[in-house]
Amino acid sequence: MSLSPALRWRSVPIEALVLREWDGEIVVRNERSGSTHLLGPLASQVLKVLAAADRPLTSAEVEDRLAATGSSPGTAVEVAAVLSEFGRLGLAEPAAAA
Amino acid sequence: MIVDDLSRRELAERLSDGGLRLRTGPVVNRIQSRLPSVLDGIALHYADHVVEDRGAFADFHVRIAPPTNARRWIAPQVRFLFDGASPFLPLPANQAFAMLEWGLNWCVSSHCHQFLIVHSASVAKAGQALLLPGHPGSGKSTLCAGLVSRGWRLLSDELTLLELATGRVVPLPRPISLKNASIDAVRRFAPEARLSAVVHDTAKGSVAHMKPPTESVHQAADTAQARWIVFPQYQSAAPARLHPLSRARTFIHLADHAFNYDVHARKGFELLAQVVSDADCFAFEYGVLREATALFDHLASRA
Repeated sequence: MSLSPALRWRSVPIEALVLREWDGEIVVRNERSGSTHLLGPLASQVLKVLAAADRPLTSAEVEDRLAATGSSPGTAVEVAAVLSEFGRLGLAEPAAAA
Repeated sequence: MIVDDLSRRELAERLSDGGLRLRTGPVVNRIQSRLPSVLDGIALHYADHVVEDRGAFADFHVRIAPPTNARRWIAPQVRFLFDGASPFLPLPANQAFAMLEWGLNWCVSSHCHQFLIVHSASVAKAGQALLLPGHPGSGKSTLCAGLVSRGWRLLSDELTLLELATGRVVPLPRPISLKNASIDAVRRFAPEARLSAVVHDTAKGSVAHMKPPTESVHQAADTAQARWIVFPQYQSAAPARLHPLSRARTFIHLADHAFNYDVHARKGFELLAQVVSDADCFAFEYGVLREATALFDHLASRA
């Protein structure tokens, strides 16, 4: 599925997520869905960026913030794929444009 | 009192009358059966287990009995009854003891939600537990039998019970279920092990049970700290080899092997996270039981 670059994403409320991180990998439980997911290093970083953001972010903004934190940013395609997967899993959702 | 204290006649009377109240780890099972094969299986495999008083509370009320139809005489069958209801299809009568074992597993995995229950063998040395989660055919029971034959304490062959408050492993020492080629493998490796006669053509192939070590039964009240989590995979002739597994992946695999992870919701997540954090985690291949047990002895000696 191709997603618009202008699409903005926000994570589900942080209180709905229970996280544990080991060596760059995160296991997250989504209290809304009751599902538990394993996130690799890039997805872990993307989730942290979204959870820390004060507003919904585009894929490009997520990339910028990953780069600013010194994280391995991943390609635009990879970040977009992570966001899309987050949407499928209910870890993030598209928000209306600001 | 333990089962071995009862004469065969007394054991038969308990089984056929009010029921034998057999303690297995944290639960008491009230077992009723008039079948000689069930009596023989209990006399062999549960010889060291505590028998509770006749009026004692029992968690599970089970019975192994023939169906009340013509099948009693033609290709006889047996049923497992739980609170008088039959949750499973009948099986051939020669599988009666195996059916009791599978039924008791079901009782625990379906009802004991005071624990997080993982489909895993577990053994311990010096109070430190080695968890061996695995799907059928992974070789976990073979490895479990091999380790207890070399001095490891049996915590459980099939159902590892994690205490919700502490994450510690609560022992459930019951017979070890061996299948197909693993039966002869264990016989060769541990000729002193006490195995039942082999029952062929079950849904799981040929099945035999191995009596749990007496000491393991005596220590059934002593919990153990999960120290190693190892996912075994038997491969013919493969050298014994441990591969480090990330804790996050171990968490997911362990949750996949848990019977009631979802039941416990956030508590289950936090408990598994604690257990995984405190353990060393590996995938493990082996093809020779002697090599495998030596490797874990070495691992324990360094702990």
